[in-house]
Amino acid sequence: MRYIFNFPDIGEGLEEGTILEWYVVKGQVIKAGQPLVNMETDKIVTDIPSPKAGTIVAIYGSVGETIHVGSPLVEIEIEGVFGADAVAEVKETGKADSVEEEAAGVVGTMELAEKNAYLAASDEGSTKSKTEDKPVVKVQATPLARAMAKDLNIDINKVIGSGPSGRVTKEDLENYKPAKQPQGVIHKTETSTQQLSADAVTYEPLSQIRKTISKNMLHSKQSTAHMTLFEEVEISHLITVRDRYKNRFAEKDIKLTYLSFIVKATVLALKKLRKLNSQIDLENDRMIYNNRYNIAIAVDTPEGLVVPVIKDADRLSIQQIAQKITELSDKARDRKLSLDDMKDGTFTLTNYGSIGGIYATPVINYPQCAILGIGRILKKPVVKDNQVVVGSVLPLSLSVDHRIVDGGEASRFINQIMEYLSDPVSMIMD
Amino acid sequence: MSVMTIVQAINNALDIKLEEDKSVVVYGEDTGVEGGVFRVTEGLQKKYGAERVFDSPLAESAIVGAGLGMALSGLRPVVELQFDGFTYPAFNQIISNVSRMHNRSRGVYKIPMVIRFPYGGGINALEHHSESPEALYAHIPGLKVVIPSSPHDAKGLLIAAMESDDPVVFMEPKRIYRAIKQEVSDEKFSIPLGKAKVLSEGTDVTIVAFGAMIRECQKAMVMAKEAGISVELIDLRTIYPIDKETIAESIKKTGRIVIVAEAPESFSVGAELMAIANEEAFLYLEAPPKRVMGFDTIVPLAQGEPMYMITPDRIFYEIERTVKF
Amino acid sequence: MLNNIRTQKKLNNNQPTTIFDHFDPREDEILRIIDNEGEVLNKELMPDLTDETIIKAYKSMLYARTADNMAVSYQRQGRMYTYPPILGQEAIQIAAGLIIREEDWLAPAFRELAIMLAKGVTMKEFFLYYMGNEQGSNFKTANHVLPICVPIGSQLLHATGIGYSIKYQKKDEVVFTYVGDGGTSEGDFSEALNFAGVWKVPVIFTIQNNQYAISVPVKSQTNSVNLAVKAIAFGVPGIKVDGNDFFAMYVAYKEAFTNARAGNGPTLIEALTYRKGAHTTSDDPSKYRTKDEEQEWDKTDPLVRLKRYMDKTGIWKDNEEQLIEEYKLEIDKQFTEAENFAAYKLEDIFQYMYVDMPDILKKQKADYELFQNWKENRK
Repeated sequence: MRYIFNFPDIGEGLEEGTILEWYVVKGQVIKAGQPLVNMETDKIVTDIPSPKAGTIVAIYGSVGETIHVGSPLVEIEIEGVFGADAVAEVKETGKADSVEEEAAGVVGTMELAEKNAYLAASDEGSTKSKTEDKPVVKVQATPLARAMAKDLNIDINKVIGSGPSGRVTKEDLENYKPAKQPQGVIHKTETSTQQLSADAVTYEPLSQIRKTISKNMLHSKQSTAHMTLFEEVEISHLITVRDRYKNRFAEKDIKLTYLSFIVKATVLALKKLRKLNSQIDLENDRMIYNNRYNIAIAVDTPEGLVVPVIKDADRLSIQQIAQKITELSDKARDRKLSLDDMKDGTFTLTNYGSIGGIYATPVINYPQCAILGIGRILKKPVVKDNQVVVGSVLPLSLSVDHRIVDGGEASRFINQIMEYLSDPVSMIMD
Repeated sequence: MSVMTIVQAINNALDIKLEEDKSVVVYGEDTGVEGGVFRVTEGLQKKYGAERVFDSPLAESAIVGAGLGMALSGLRPVVELQFDGFTYPAFNQIISNVSRMHNRSRGVYKIPMVIRFPYGGGINALEHHSESPEALYAHIPGLKVVIPSSPHDAKGLLIAAMESDDPVVFMEPKRIYRAIKQEVSDEKFSIPLGKAKVLSEGTDVTIVAFGAMIRECQKAMVMAKEAGISVELIDLRTIYPIDKETIAESIKKTGRIVIVAEAPESFSVGAELMAIANEEAFLYLEAPPKRVMGFDTIVPLAQGEPMYMITPDRIFYEIERTVKF
Repeated sequence: MLNNIRTQKKLNNNQPTTIFDHFDPREDEILRIIDNEGEVLNKELMPDLTDETIIKAYKSMLYARTADNMAVSYQRQGRMYTYPPILGQEAIQIAAGLIIREEDWLAPAFRELAIMLAKGVTMKEFFLYYMGNEQGSNFKTANHVLPICVPIGSQLLHATGIGYSIKYQKKDEVVFTYVGDGGTSEGDFSEALNFAGVWKVPVIFTIQNNQYAISVPVKSQTNSVNLAVKAIAFGVPGIKVDGNDFFAMYVAYKEAFTNARAGNGPTLIEALTYRKGAHTTSDDPSKYRTKDEEQEWDKTDPLVRLKRYMDKTGIWKDNEEQLIEEYKLEIDKQFTEAENFAAYKLEDIFQYMYVDMPDILKKQKADYELFQNWKENRK
């Protein structure tokens, strides 16, 4: 059968060779291993021996010609091998046609880059901007939670996580109800998936704070029975007291705010009406009364609402409370609040009056029982000793969890606060 | 700019540093007259003389040990060990002394030494010419281990390694020594050690690889693309110190990691990356980290090697399985 | 023969002297019996060999050279991978081949084709190895031959250990081990000789000093006057021998062998020769040596010398050309057998790592098989 012997890789790192001299001619009978041709390559000049014995049927390439590795050199009529065996023979020696080419290396077959196959120059150091944040939202979850989500056929990326840093937990998956609308208050968010034309909206990624607040607010509203009481208290006396002590405090670099008095009043009231300083634990059928009085103060910062806590406010004097308020507000604005500053609150005060609000329906800081909103002091006509006089009125909005506290208890609580605020001396009498 | 292979890029890096810094010396077996069995140091002895670029007697332990002596007394030796499988006689000097001298002397002696050698399989070679011992060296405290995957990187990383005052093990992927040509700047430049590079951005799975495997991963990525899988490819470049940050950031984006490397999988760089994935991105993992690596066997001779070496279809197979987890 | 003080002392005391006493490596003396023209230089040293034995030795050298050349040719045809030729070093190995018995051990480096053949390794096994199948090292008809050892010099320590074992088991066996001139710079060389000297093991260390360690000439390898002299440091007899002189090599081996069996411990033989071929088929010697130098050394060619001796003494009767043709056919037959050897199985990668395959490996193999199935089904 006819066998074509191609110019093989001979281990000297070459793509081509130049024919220097032919040792054989057409029609010549040759033996296996007999030198066929003398080739010159980049590195060396060498003889190429024949892999087969037989008769030369054709010679490819003339002296001086350059031929590529893999191109035919000679065609040999091999004796005694026919049919399938012949094919096998050719296949066996096909190793010679492999793309691998040897280059200097002492050992092994080295691959050579093809002539014009270049890798693009590196873009190292070029200021190629990274692609913008992926639109795909990936949640954090343990492998266990992910496995559970899979079993429940839930797309875990759609679940809002309540664990640390927004992690999706087992509970979140258990409570996940994609179809139900709680109290019809929240619309299905289908509108949010409407295709909007590009110039109708601007997108902005959510900050961590916003995400957290958003989650917490919704959770609070969905988990508690919010009820709000609105009251007014006349505080001329308090104003006098404050004015009297303002400067003395200022000398010590302490700002004496009305909030300090309100904290004090709240704490004293909580001591009398402990239900307002508690949590309800429906799962275990019990009330959890807080023995500590940690008053959280809502602070408005450019990034959003943060709620640092004055720990054990019952043990602090009004001066100390004032100090603490200043300290925590500054820290909040400087974003230096620690995790410790923010934990373990048992009751919250929110003073939107400083911004100008009067009444509001503050959202309870779950899992606390109540939150007291403080509005702006208004100069209003009031009745004193059957006379209409100008009074300083402080509006209060108390939201309570009606699961824990009924209207009566809530009223008694806010009345107590109002008593303290209208008659400051009573705070040291009780 | 010139078109260079990895061999030429390394030669260029050595040339630049030999020119610039008289304290640099380069030596090893057949490194001087012949210019190295892979011709990596070709022409350098002629240019810089036999005192600076020379042949040493046949003794790897001595090559490294003497190199250590040179490094701590004012020279900046770049020693060559001929093949990965022949670094082992020098292992004692490396682990007992090279990696420790700085610590042992409390900083009195710095070891600005580079130990370079070709590594990796896929060239139909004899035993001991196809090994991938990066984990062995990365596990030694006090050493840096660097592996380039392209001509540009080879040049930049080697120059950085030569300018480092710490001992660096520089492993050159011999399979692609001449298989890749790239336009590389003729100027001096260096690439910082300890930083991985994101070669391609993607969203479905992160692949981490280095050396000759990068090319195989890129081929697998073509297959992945056809299957609709978006792959993020990271070239580790430095094995130690490993760039945890880049890896973690990527996993947080994709949720999946596949590690591709030649060495036996047990107790390997792949194992380390899996640990990192867990430590740094546990909550973002959507599938178990996967290492696509060699068997716990010796690299077979040529007839068995194709089954051992990691191929693009094997990489694609594991990518698919990971994405479908 | 030059006497030195030690030898003189022995002679004075009527103690038996060995060849090692008479050729002092410190003086760079070399044991040589015939010159390049095949003329006998030292009749007293000429070994007592029958004509048949000498002819047989020549034929073995011829066969080895033919096989070696064909191996290079097969590589050039792209049918075999990188191969390190032994061209020019046949006399050393065939001389040992005449002496080495079935029970003796051979711990080779990687340039010992001729002695491996003498030990019973077949060309088929040889080719199989260089075609990239480790089965080629599973020697079916050769006893006590270690596989080719690539890490330079490390086999010398193995030889020393085998020697210890032989002594311990009170066997009558001798270890033949080989290293190149480059290998003498490795620590293992010194350690092996040192241990061998202390333990007094029956090991014959041969340095095939073929002048080059790839591109590094022996004068860059060491400042010693020669390589045999290094043995003295370890209290081991050393001798420098003309490696291309079949008779000299035979005499050296015979004496070392007798010594070893008599319990006198190891010897180091430096066989001075020339690596006529390249380091491997991927090496280009023209980069570091001249054609002139090669031609000078060609004059010492071991086959040519022995042939000339036989011509001069009229003992050679065969037709060399015809012999070579016969050998070629035989060798090609073996090559074909190797080429047609059973395909490499996945199992082969795993099954020899441990005596019993651990579960981890079983699992890795099974995982790969799953991949293979997937690959098959994709087609």
